[in-house]
Amino acid sequence: MSATIRIDPTRCRGHAICAVFFSSGIELDQWGYGKIIDVELQDERALKRARRAANACPNGALVVEEALA
Amino acid sequence: MSTPVSIRPRGNPLSLGRLAQDIAREARAAQSEGIVADPLMPVGDSDAAERGVGRALVGPVGSLGTVLLSGPTAGGGPADLELHLARWGALAVDTATILDVLDSSEIDGRGGGGFPLRRKVDAARAAGHPLVIVNASESEPASRKDATLCTLRPHLVLDGAALVAKALGTSDVVVHMHRGSGMAGPLRAAIEQRKAAGFAAADSLSPDQSHTVVDPAWRLSEGPDRYVSGESSAVASSVEGGEARPYFTTSPLAVHGPSGRPTVVSNVETLAHLAVAVRLGGDVWRAFGSDDAPGTRLVTLTGAVAEPGLVVEASGPVTLGDLLQAGGLDHPPAAVLVGGFGGTWVDGADAWSTPFSRPGLSDVGAGPGCGMVGVLPPGACGLAETARIVAYLAGESAGQCGSCVSGLPRLAAALGDLARGRMRRRGVRKTASIADEIFGSGACGHPDAVVRLVRSALDVFAGDVEAHLDGGPCAGAELAPVFMVPGPRRIDSSGGGWK
Ligand code: SF4
Ligand code: SF4
Repeated sequence: MSATIRIDPTRCRGHAICAVFFSSGIELDQWGYGKIIDVELQDERALKRARRAANACPNGALVVEEALA
Repeated sequence: MSTPVSIRPRGNPLSLGRLAQDIAREARAAQSEGIVADPLMPVGDSDAAERGVGRALVGPVGSLGTVLLSGPTAGGGPADLELHLARWGALAVDTATILDVLDSSEIDGRGGGGFPLRRKVDAARAAGHPLVIVNASESEPASRKDATLCTLRPHLVLDGAALVAKALGTSDVVVHMHRGSGMAGPLRAAIEQRKAAGFAAADSLSPDQSHTVVDPAWRLSEGPDRYVSGESSAVASSVEGGEARPYFTTSPLAVHGPSGRPTVVSNVETLAHLAVAVRLGGDVWRAFGSDDAPGTRLVTLTGAVAEPGLVVEASGPVTLGDLLQAGGLDHPPAAVLVGGFGGTWVDGADAWSTPFSRPGLSDVGAGPGCGMVGVLPPGACGLAETARIVAYLAGESAGQCGSCVSGLPRLAAALGDLARGRMRRRGVRKTASIADEIFGSGACGHPDAVVRLVRSALDVFAGDVEAHLDGGPCAGAELAPVFMVPGPRRIDSSGGGWK
């Protein structure tokens, strides 16, 4: 599996919802903006959580990309 | 200085292009006449002779040893098409050769990024219908090299753009600059000269095989004069009618620009080097530099130098000390700001012998950036200078990314406190932690550049930091600024002003 998660900092408004859904992969900086811990998603579990976080972000600021095959 | 000028490029002159021979002949003539003083400044020596590579040469427009800037001096005005062709000859090259030269020369981006031009061209070639953007948006307030090049040697820039367009099989080229930069006039005049000379006329051969380099359909475009507006995604966005602010990209612009087209954004100096390298051959072009820094390099000298804003061209194995000598210094200054306002402080004594190459500068934590070299004289306060620069850069945030918007003003305030002697030891630690938090968090490299600047200041001026903590500001903090920072600019709160 090869998948990545990134955050579009121009869209993030610091709602912090993502960190609730994917606490092992996203932390918040001292102003409450999302911060990706590791761009590479290590396993299916992480990918699933990352997708959930991306869907939950009200600003569509999270980008999850999966390499084909 | 009594050391003779060495002649470069070395090797068999018969194997060189016409202009290279000219340059070698000029250097020989100068040597036989014993001309080693103005306008040519032979500087440095180091181990160059041992390695058999030429001596380092640093000189202003029109001086011996210059390549891009060879020809008339600054007072002589722009090199028009006639002069340009007399000096360099017409372009006659097929696509395969352009790609070969991009490969063998390894021309790197000279706007600050340092990204190899070949890689951008390859990425864009793989996709359809590319756009070429000539980036003349010189954003660093103290840098003058792009303006100098576009004003005095516009045809080299345009040649380079025509070559990239040919390699990509496109005729769409936009030259983009800051509004009010003064570059539009000379560039427009140069384009008119080329049109009048029939540069846009195609021949009947297939474009790839033909050796004719047809001028593309030039378009000039201007955007707001803001610091971050020179960043490539901001430039591409501005050219496509959007805001001149960086945006978040998931794939390189050369693959997928703002309108979906592969978009190659290249600095004007980079393109001018390509125009030269294609004529001289990639290897000869490389030989004008050093192993670590192929080709020549344009540098703007600023701060406490003889002539702030002087643009020089450096060839050979140049050290920062060589550049400083060209600025009139005969011994190391207090510190040197390398690469721009968004650059890095280097201790003056360390700087003197540091090679002005990517690896050499990286050993002292710096990089060539936009090629600005700024001198902090003894007695001046590096912390006060840094505070002013950081305040300026914080005000130049594009206001999009949370940590850039929230973090940079805090960094600026902290540096201001430190410079004024209003900070305690705890504050220094906090400043460092804000810097750590901001690093890598933006859609563009702006916050990272500020963080590097601040970290280098805390390091190079560590002694001053202690003094400011213990006993308030130093005497230097009260002096007039060495680096002139543009005043604050207001962008209306509705987010306007970016078009
Ligand atoms: S949920 Fe979206 S807006 Fe909120 S912190 Fe996460 S990425 Fe930013
Ligand atoms: S990091 Fe700062 S300057 Fe860069 S895009 Fe974001 S807000 Fe703009």
